[in-house]
Amino acid sequence: MKKSFYRVLLSMMIIAVLCASSAWPLDLHTWSEDEMTTLKSLWIGSLPPVPADPSNKYSVDPKAVAFGKKLFFDNRLSGNLKVSCATCHPANMNFADNLPLAHGMGTTTRRTMPLIGMAYQTWLFWDGRKDSLWAQALGPIESPVEHGFTRTQCASIIIEHHKKDYEELFGPLPALSKRDLPASAKPSPEEPSALKAWVSIPRDKKKAINRIYTNMGKAIAAFVQTIMPTPSRFDDYVEAALKNDFSRMVKTLANDEVKGLRLFIGKAKCTNCHSGPLFTNGEFHNIGLTQPENLPPDAGRSDAIAKVLADEFNCMSEYSDARRADCSELRFIDTDTYKYIGAFKTPTLRNVAERAPYMRAGQISTLEKVLEFYRDLKPGQRSADLEHGELNDLQLQQLEAFLRTLSAPLDFAK
Amino acid sequence: MHTVMIITFMFRSVAYTFIRHFVEEEIFVKTITVLFLSALLISCAPTAKNTRIDEKHVHEQGEFTKHYKESLFQLSEKGMYSVELVLKEPELKTGINAVDIIIHDKTDRDVVDADITVVPWMPEMGHGVFEKPVITERGGGVYTVDNIILIMSGYWELRITIKEASFVDKAVFEFRDVKVDRGHEHKMTEAPADLDLAAKKLTDNKMFNVSYKSMREPIPINRIHTWELAVLKADGSPVRGAVISLDGDMPEHGHGLSTQPEVTDDLGNGKYLVEGIKFSMPGWWVMKFNIQSGDKEDTVMFNLMLKE
Repeated sequence: MKKSFYRVLLSMMIIAVLCASSAWPLDLHTWSEDEMTTLKSLWIGSLPPVPADPSNKYSVDPKAVAFGKKLFFDNRLSGNLKVSCATCHPANMNFADNLPLAHGMGTTTRRTMPLIGMAYQTWLFWDGRKDSLWAQALGPIESPVEHGFTRTQCASIIIEHHKKDYEELFGPLPALSKRDLPASAKPSPEEPSALKAWVSIPRDKKKAINRIYTNMGKAIAAFVQTIMPTPSRFDDYVEAALKNDFSRMVKTLANDEVKGLRLFIGKAKCTNCHSGPLFTNGEFHNIGLTQPENLPPDAGRSDAIAKVLADEFNCMSEYSDARRADCSELRFIDTDTYKYIGAFKTPTLRNVAERAPYMRAGQISTLEKVLEFYRDLKPGQRSADLEHGELNDLQLQQLEAFLRTLSAPLDFAK
Repeated sequence: MHTVMIITFMFRSVAYTFIRHFVEEEIFVKTITVLFLSALLISCAPTAKNTRIDEKHVHEQGEFTKHYKESLFQLSEKGMYSVELVLKEPELKTGINAVDIIIHDKTDRDVVDADITVVPWMPEMGHGVFEKPVITERGGGVYTVDNIILIMSGYWELRITIKEASFVDKAVFEFRDVKVDRGHEHKMTEAPADLDLAAKKLTDNKMFNVSYKSMREPIPINRIHTWELAVLKADGSPVRGAVISLDGDMPEHGHGLSTQPEVTDDLGNGKYLVEGIKFSMPGWWVMKFNIQSGDKEDTVMFNLMLKE
């Protein structure tokens, strides 16, 4: 009896050593039914076709896409004739610059957001102060540190340079004289002289200007909606897994990358927030990052709730094409401002390796340090959403290796 | 592939032999069981419970003084009361806690019959808890607060409001470093294995029979959607014109929904439309409905286990 027991023990040990030393590929690439469900939910193939934006009836119109693309790259839409949307969102850099803080006419207080898969987002900007892509596109134009421009100047540029494109899409431009379009006029409480100039414009002309301005936003949004991720190595791997193509799985991702993926959807619980084919839940979370000393305090989502409700261009506004029933997100918005102090939107992780520096003010310079930041949060400092289990250095490297498999060229209207 | 299967098979048969070997050694198994059970008993035995404090206390030290040696002491914000807090165990921990609150006014009178509310709050996280603490007045200005469920470790406040007739005052006790109670951690943070996932339930006090149906199946993650709620009386007849409020919570994560859903329409025949529900992540969710019809009011909680 005893003899046989030791023999058994010995053979077990030999097998254990064998398995550990060769990083047994079958174990590594075997996924449970639940894990497969999660993998499929992250797979690019699970991304539904681009939904039409009910608040923008031009959102999938090819003419609007073409016109929007012209506007996106148009430097004339700025106070110094040098800034366009593409200044901070350069097409050759995955539509996101590599600066900690976005820089247009001046420097902003937040990092440029990625534009990947924006068509699927409910809330726009880091704090979600806009509820549509077209309303979002209009924000930077009137920001003094971004385009440093005004809606009256935009109307002038459209009338002067884009009349044909505009009228083909939106119908005849309203009759507006030079006198109706004072250069520096916008409803901005931060700039009293521009506000005064705006308020002094007759009501119907103001409406006409807003109509041109919002149509311009809708065209830009139609173009931005076309910026989409393409299948990455991770997606190829999941596709192979779905087809039970074991040899292709092994060829597609290296062992470390698969181990990282296993951590990502398992122990490290990254999918709590980075869920779905765009690796984001689109929600707002305070992750316990300290406030940068050189910037004013930023309350994030907390301050944006009233802003989006009061926004002149929100889903329920007269410039929106949506019916009330299409505006559920706005109607049922969580107004608990206390809950969202210091909370910012979960960004997509697609192409994340191409997008240093990280976090909403570019506080962290590398992916490695981002992972260290999450690991080193002490239990008392993090909410339960951020429970990552105990991760060692090797596991962080594996997670990073996995994140690097999410890179792929972007697709957009050519 | 073949070698893999062979090795897996070998591994399995080896494991069987191993287990059989131990099972044969009956005495050994028995010893282990006894040891295990006694260890379990010892670990579960109550640890030096600090029982209730005595309601009777001496009033001789004058205005705003401590009456209990072991209490945390504070003046209320407007200076109307002194508030003493006695923890039932040496410190607050994650899980279920209880405290005694003792209130005196300026003249050192025991404050009795006051309306006391206690809200546990995490100022850094900006959230409280889902369950309300239960407050029992014990006389002599002593109020016992049970069921203080702290859902996570970290910086907590106990926000106490005292109402007497038209007077309202507050006191906040800070607990900078509430630690995880290893004994309760599992119970508090993980969904029980036998979670009742029924979509049709009797309300807590058996007044109504409530069922829900999602207009989207399976219930989606991260997508705003609509439910239909059906409310029946005990005899099976529909409850019409009820006033219904609701809230959602993720007990393991200590946060609620990312929207504020509402009952937006009475569809007739005891059916109600619930709009604006959105679950931001997979996992265990609890949806709580409060139903009011005439002079009857009752609540019901549904568990959901959502997958990607």
